[in-house]
Amino acid sequence: MITLQNIEKYYATKGLKSYILRHVSTTIQQGEFVSIMGPSGAGKSTLLNILGMLEEPTYGTYEFMGEDITSLSERKKIELYRNHIGFVFQAYHLIDEMTVAENIEAPLLYKKIAGAERKSRVADMLDRFNIVGKKDLFPNQLSGGQQQLVGIARALAAQPSIILADEPTGNLQSAQALQIMELFKKLNEEENITIIQVTHSEVNAGYGSRILHLLDGVIKEDLNVVNL
Amino acid sequence: MFKLNFKIALRNLWKNKTASLINISGLAIGLASCLLLLLYVSYEWNFNKQLKDEANVYQIMINFDGPAGSISGTGPRTPNTVGPALQQSYTSVKAMSRIDDGDSRLIANGRNSFKKRGRFADAGILKIFDYHFISGDQKTALDAPNNVVLTESTAKLLFGTADVLNRSVRFEDKVNLKITGVIKDLPDNTSLQLDYLMPWTLFEGMYEWTKRPAWTNYSWTTLVTLSPDADPDLLNNSIKGIIKKHVSDATSSPMLFPFSKLHLYGEFTEGKSTGGGIEQLRLFMGLAIGILLIACINFMNMATAKSEKRAKEVGIKKTIGATRGSLISQFLMESLVLTLCSAVMSIVLVEVFLPLFNNLLGIKMNIVYANPYLWISLIGIVLFTGVVAGSYPAFYLSSFNPLQVLRKRTPSRGILSVSLRQVLVVVQFSFAVILIIATTVIYKQIQYLKNKPAGYQMNELVELAQDGQLEGKFELLKERLMQSGAIEGICQLSGSMAMYNSNFWGMEWPGSNETERHMVFSQMATTYDFVKTTGLKLVEGRDFSRQFPSDSAAVMLSVSAVKQMNLVNPVGKIVKYQGDNCTVVGVFEDFVWNAPSQKQDPMVVAFRKQQGGYITMRLNSANPASANLAVIERIVKDINPAYPVEFKFVDALYAEKLKSQKILGLLSNVFGGLAIFISCLGLFGLAAYSAEQRTKEIGVRKVLGASVASLMQLLSLNFLKMVVLSIIIAIPVATYVMDNWLKKFDFHTTVSWLMIAMAAAGTITIALLTVSYQAYKAAKANPVDALKYE
Repeated sequence: MITLQNIEKYYATKGLKSYILRHVSTTIQQGEFVSIMGPSGAGKSTLLNILGMLEEPTYGTYEFMGEDITSLSERKKIELYRNHIGFVFQAYHLIDEMTVAENIEAPLLYKKIAGAERKSRVADMLDRFNIVGKKDLFPNQLSGGQQQLVGIARALAAQPSIILADEPTGNLQSAQALQIMELFKKLNEEENITIIQVTHSEVNAGYGSRILHLLDGVIKEDLNVVNL
Repeated sequence: MFKLNFKIALRNLWKNKTASLINISGLAIGLASCLLLLLYVSYEWNFNKQLKDEANVYQIMINFDGPAGSISGTGPRTPNTVGPALQQSYTSVKAMSRIDDGDSRLIANGRNSFKKRGRFADAGILKIFDYHFISGDQKTALDAPNNVVLTESTAKLLFGTADVLNRSVRFEDKVNLKITGVIKDLPDNTSLQLDYLMPWTLFEGMYEWTKRPAWTNYSWTTLVTLSPDADPDLLNNSIKGIIKKHVSDATSSPMLFPFSKLHLYGEFTEGKSTGGGIEQLRLFMGLAIGILLIACINFMNMATAKSEKRAKEVGIKKTIGATRGSLISQFLMESLVLTLCSAVMSIVLVEVFLPLFNNLLGIKMNIVYANPYLWISLIGIVLFTGVVAGSYPAFYLSSFNPLQVLRKRTPSRGILSVSLRQVLVVVQFSFAVILIIATTVIYKQIQYLKNKPAGYQMNELVELAQDGQLEGKFELLKERLMQSGAIEGICQLSGSMAMYNSNFWGMEWPGSNETERHMVFSQMATTYDFVKTTGLKLVEGRDFSRQFPSDSAAVMLSVSAVKQMNLVNPVGKIVKYQGDNCTVVGVFEDFVWNAPSQKQDPMVVAFRKQQGGYITMRLNSANPASANLAVIERIVKDINPAYPVEFKFVDALYAEKLKSQKILGLLSNVFGGLAIFISCLGLFGLAAYSAEQRTKEIGVRKVLGASVASLMQLLSLNFLKMVVLSIIIAIPVATYVMDNWLKKFDFHTTVSWLMIAMAAAGTITIALLTVSYQAYKAAKANPVDALKYE
């Protein structure tokens, strides 16, 4: 599904190249649950952003579902966002002016899905995440864990084939974090959704099937998690 | 999508109530000002357009020859012969009407008598003007000499009803007229106002002299309608010599000029229109657009300032699949929702303030809601404002890179966004400062003209039209009034002291040459006590006096006349005035008869017993004016019972002369003030955002020990810099523009540095007060709140 070849990312400041990523090459298959780990400044988020096409690599090729991303137009990228990629952020990034239901509905609107279908999908999501009672609340009326649930529900509403999550539990208490991870695992196993998450937590990484260890922009380890 | 966006727009409005209020009301005030000004512009623009065939109605103007083939002046009044002559000889003249001045004349229904504006005109006037007949036949209404057409309100005044067809009224206490038509009252913006209309044939029947063909007596307005295929330029060439053909030594030639243009393009040099009221109108249009622009700038500034908060929303939306187009349309819609709110509010504002505005300007305008142009232009302005105001935030915000805003959390504060906002603020304040300086200069000029000595004592001076018996029994009136003690002096004058109304050329004097005989003098005729009554200053010689029977052929000259005629020892010299030899008996100091801002023409005051017009009286200052007037009224009524007595105070008439400057001053005052207000509203909003944006910085600084004063300084300084820059830009522009404006007047004040300094200081003070409120609030806040936030 995803093929990275020799991805490099550096910033040139005053003639000095400061590398964020070096020689990153890897392949991720449909249905994998990958955790990117590493200390601060290792380039985890940059890698995730490149995967999410929010950032462009300085060098290297990136193929997403067989298409070369580096030469893709803005319009094409937006098409991919709409149809294949769901983002989940550490700070939830819900739209403050929209209610829970509207937040979930928003990507469907951009995808130009018909009204009835939209309604049923939103209702389905609300149901599934047990937040029906909160559908008319605004984000700032929810707890962090609830907000992140809405964030995931929003990412899922468009039925993406991959979810990119940047420290999805970073702002949450451990109980809530567990709940989110269980959810990811379930989605991965039951719906075959590819999940790539950046995390600091070994525990969280344990939910996945594969761990990429980054250090100073280089993949140090590529482990398969063996579930006991 | 649209519905959701709309909902979010409303939610946003509601959530930031203060900001929304500032935004909406600022824009509403701007829109309302713009609408009011445009209403005024359209009022002036539609002046004299109530015509049947507007494009083809022409007024006959008269060009007067100057020396060596030039044209010395152009006047709107024609002889009584030119119109009929044109109608006879040119088939392209489809309708013609001579129209008299429309003086206040007596009209009565039995005892119910009033002096109302009655006009005489040829029946052709009904083919030219688009009068709206309530009853009567407009084809025949003025056919017989004893016909009269009343306006609705005149009919109601006289009869209490508009249903008065075929009833009879008495005119000037002399003839009975049959009412053959009632028309709707004329709108305010027509120069040929009237309360009732009578046929020219009646005029000729009542006043024998008007019947005689007088090719060089320029007294009447003449309008013609040409057929649409006529070429006015060709016609103009062809009619040029028509007066000279009949009077060999005549020095005038007629010229057709579009009637509806005359109001705004009524200034002529060399027989060509060189502008007029249109200049002031252009100024107002500029003002309208300027104010709207200021309001739009506010709007844009507030929206971009808000963008820092909304950047996140943009970033998220982009990651969930929003295209740039959809974001742009969302922001444009938000701005249109706001402008729509403002538009509604502005209409309310206009409705509320229109009566006040009308009152200030002394005109009657109203919003005609049925007028499609109103709606088209309103919708146009709303769309334009919405799109202009919304476009910058729309395009700017939608260009945000989602990663930048989402990851770094602090939104991109590009150099461009900040500097553009600053530029906008500077533009806005420059405009406001220019307006303030302009207002002060105009105000000072008006004061200057007001305080400029008129050359005579106009307080306690009243005048009365010399109607009916007052002409024949003037001596009796004089005697009785003087005996009564109500007045200190009385004289008979051919014109009003406050209104320039007559000039001539062709005066001859010892040593005058051919070109000097073309010199234009203003003239007035009087009898005894002219100087004594008006309080003119005599420089040499004496007033006309009964002790000198020879005064029946005497004149007085103004100082500038003596100067321009190069007369040494003028008193006692013989001059040829209107063909008669007259002795100069006195020289008086020039007085303001024409516009106070212009140099006065040389003037001749001649002794002419039979030429009355106005009775001018100086009230006895020992008694209260009302008591004096009551006494005078009783005596006048006694002598001239048929006419109501209508006094006019000369000082009030004089004040009318400054009307157009006053309107200019008033409008620039009001709208300059509004411009400043809107600008400050914007500044207030910006300061609030800037304070909010720097909450963390302020918190950190406070923790580090910054005082409230130093924080306020920090927050205010940026804004102050912009205002100071605006002032620096505005001063030369304003000085240049106002210097040019002042140059139009022969007598004018100057743009002083004190005025500029005061305008600058005032602007800085207001801006500082506006900003410092926000700065104080931010500086006083508890730093913990600010730091916890992060």
